Amino acid sequence: MTMRILARLLQVFGTNKTSWVGLGIFAAICAMALLAPWIAGSDPLEQDIIAKLRPPSGEHWFGTDEFGRDVYARLVWGARISLSVSISAISLALVVGGTIGLVSGYVGGRFDMLVMQAMDVILSFPALILGLIIVALLGPSQTNLIVAIALTAMAPFARIARAPTLIVKERQFVEAGRALGFGHARIIFVHVLPNILSEVLVMASLWMATAVRVEASLSFIGLGVRPPTPTWGGMIRDGFENILDAPWLCIYPGLAILALIFSLNMLGDGLRDATDPKLRGE
Amino acid sequence: MSGAGDDAPVLRVEDLSVEFRVRGAWWPAVRGLSFVVARNETLALVGESGCGKSITALSVMGLVPRPQGRIGGGRILFEGRDVAAMPEAELERLRGDRMAMIFQEPMTSLNPVLSVGFQVSEALRVHRGIDAAAADAEALRLLEEVKIPSARRRFADYPHQFSGGMRQRVMIAMAIALKPALLLADEPTTALDVTIQAQVLGLLADLKSVQGMSMLFITHNLGVVAAIADRVAVMYAGEIVEVAPVARIFSAPVHPYTEALFRAIPRIDRAEQSLDAIGGQVPPIDRMPQGCRFAPRCPARRASCEASAQALVEVAPGHEVRCGVRAPAGAMAA
Amino acid sequence: MLWYVAKRLLAAMPTLVAVLTVVFVIVRIIPGDPALTVLGDQATPQALAALREKLGIDKPLLAQYLDFISAALTGDLGRSLVSGRPVINEVVAVLPHTLDLTISSLVLGTVLGVPLGVWAALRRNRLADYVIRIVSLVGLSFPVFVSGIFLLMVFALHYRLFPVIGTANLSDLGDRTWKLVLPTITLGLVMVAYITRVTRSAMLQVLSEDYVRTARAKGVPARLVIRRHALRNALIPVVTVVGLYLGINIGNSVLTEIVFNRPGLGKVIVTALNQRDYAMLQGLMVIYCFLIVVTNLLTDLAYGLIDPRVKQA
Repeated sequence: MTMRILARLLQVFGTNKTSWVGLGIFAAICAMALLAPWIAGSDPLEQDIIAKLRPPSGEHWFGTDEFGRDVYARLVWGARISLSVSISAISLALVVGGTIGLVSGYVGGRFDMLVMQAMDVILSFPALILGLIIVALLGPSQTNLIVAIALTAMAPFARIARAPTLIVKERQFVEAGRALGFGHARIIFVHVLPNILSEVLVMASLWMATAVRVEASLSFIGLGVRPPTPTWGGMIRDGFENILDAPWLCIYPGLAILALIFSLNMLGDGLRDATDPKLRGE
Repeated sequence: MSGAGDDAPVLRVEDLSVEFRVRGAWWPAVRGLSFVVARNETLALVGESGCGKSITALSVMGLVPRPQGRIGGGRILFEGRDVAAMPEAELERLRGDRMAMIFQEPMTSLNPVLSVGFQVSEALRVHRGIDAAAADAEALRLLEEVKIPSARRRFADYPHQFSGGMRQRVMIAMAIALKPALLLADEPTTALDVTIQAQVLGLLADLKSVQGMSMLFITHNLGVVAAIADRVAVMYAGEIVEVAPVARIFSAPVHPYTEALFRAIPRIDRAEQSLDAIGGQVPPIDRMPQGCRFAPRCPARRASCEASAQALVEVAPGHEVRCGVRAPAGAMAA
Repeated sequence: MLWYVAKRLLAAMPTLVAVLTVVFVIVRIIPGDPALTVLGDQATPQALAALREKLGIDKPLLAQYLDFISAALTGDLGRSLVSGRPVINEVVAVLPHTLDLTISSLVLGTVLGVPLGVWAALRRNRLADYVIRIVSLVGLSFPVFVSGIFLLMVFALHYRLFPVIGTANLSDLGDRTWKLVLPTITLGLVMVAYITRVTRSAMLQVLSEDYVRTARAKGVPARLVIRRHALRNALIPVVTVVGLYLGINIGNSVLTEIVFNRPGLGKVIVTALNQRDYAMLQGLMVIYCFLIVVTNLLTDLAYGLIDPRVKQA
């Protein structure tokens, strides 16, 4: 069954240039984050007041910030936060949202209706505001950030998981006599999952882009992961105060955020163009 | 090939081929198609779904959907001019004015956000350049001519306020507004129920005799053919397999496919019948057989049929058949 | 028409009350005692009790709820815990700034986005289409505070074309417009990207419809087919999406206001959150929900203008 999923993945990726480019950039950023200890050069937390607010040079590729910390090193390490928060949040959203969708679709009736309406309400809230409220209530920390983003991203995954459950339910009525207890789980895994795989991938990519954006925005507002941990949004926030003297403090993290979000959007968009049956036909 | 009259035919299609792109390569959906529509004549184009009838009509209008389709070769002579090679701007001048088309789905063929009256008057405004008031007056007259009840009151109504049959009448009014020489009708009654069907057909027949219009009438319904056609062309898999005046095609079909088509109609006056469906399917355009395209499903086939393509042969005046078995080359009826 | 508006307002009432209830619940969930937050932990029990009574939080929950609902529906949104001023006054003071920004970015988005989307649809899969799609994707990928800062750096700091501090003098139209330019471009960039994409896909959908084929069969010239037959129909989904987006836009407005130091609803919300000003937050949420209802209403009205099928309902 893994082979079938892999084959489907390749088929979906194969023809689409956009998704390859997006995947490439994303992979490069991931590699950068993973290899941080080796490629960062200097310690991102190490302060050197004498060398503060230096422009980019041979020694400090992207310059230094107001505490003399190397911007390049902070950028490389900052990737870890952006990636770990977004990947964790979306994985959580996928699992929780998917489960809710499966259960809701299976139980059906009033319960299903109520749950889906709740999902719609969540979906109609701007992700940033919802994240803002939750983090303000629970306090800023990496975990809360992940939970906040996961909560806003749950809804679309619930929808995706629910649709095939409804179809499977129909079939169950037909085969009522022969269905064994574990038949349900088998059917879901073997038949349903490969079909919704492409939809899930598209949603996951696009919502990861949103997650990165929300994390960066919240860090910029001051509700992200606490300093001195380097985050891209936080770097911009600090750099904003010195924007007149040291524009590089905002430029490089800004470009990094743009690159990551753009790559994820390209990936999601490319995948969607490749797999949406309506768009494929022409 | 109607011997009557010296008038040049309104439409002469010569060796037309229309291609579609399937997985990167171009395949002909219509191949080597040739036929003629004379003045004041109704030619019925008959065949199963997918045989290429609609595409033929769309080609005449220059409306082959791009980029997935294109005219691959041949000429389409409308009033003497080759429409297949005409630039779009000239085609726009002809469309709606000298030739017009009505489509199968009345429910989706009218623009939902524009009033019915405007849509009928639009061709008048575009082609004749007359002012809005005059165009509207003529549009109203046309709506009354197609027997829309309370036309004046309903002039500013929108398509969703009309039934399917009414919408089809509106389509007809739109099409005949400028008194075209040729009307292409692509299964205009298929989506309507039987009583409305009869009304619409009657309307078309009246209009035709009043205006002196030629019609290319596409249908897969042989009852409609009997009601409205002067001549009939039977298409299969992108080719014409038989052409004949309507009486002959019903009384003496020659091609095995035509025969099978007619056998499939239940008849009230016969006591015992079996509903013979024609076994098999039309081959997809990228897997067309080399020889006779009907051979795989043909009860009369011989070995030679699948070897090479057959040509249209005249078996009687005005009656041509494409069949190596029933109408071999050189077997002209005396 | 008036009857239509009244009907829609009436229909929105239950939703409004439901949302108000949710707001009530959310604010009450926040841990901590508001009286304690305001007075600090040095306050005497009597002072705390007095404040609680003044704020009305010592009454049973149901009574609080009813007070809240009736007050909200009559326009009394309470008073800020921090400044003591009525919430509604604070909101009214900043509303013109927020509306300026929202409307101007919407106009920019439409004026640029619709033509670009149409063009991309007409040149499908050719160079222009690819370029437009990539550029709009970049536009969507720019977080608003990043693009805002970049614009600030280039046009306000480096070239000194526009001001850095953004509080406009409302009575001076020139000043007001001047200070609006950079924030509008920032917010508008995302709008343009979004509207371009939606218009493109709507146009592609519409161009394949039967009635467009009918129009061409009548010999209507291509340009007229696009403008009169295709575009009007394509605008229907565009209006829907833009209406939805306006609600979501508030997140981006907040960021823009912070970057350009503009007064507006966004900044008020963030300040209230930071100061734990619950009364203010409650009032602001009510305002926000009310704005959403109004936006939906406007969207519906826009439908009514474009699509004749809607008026019948």
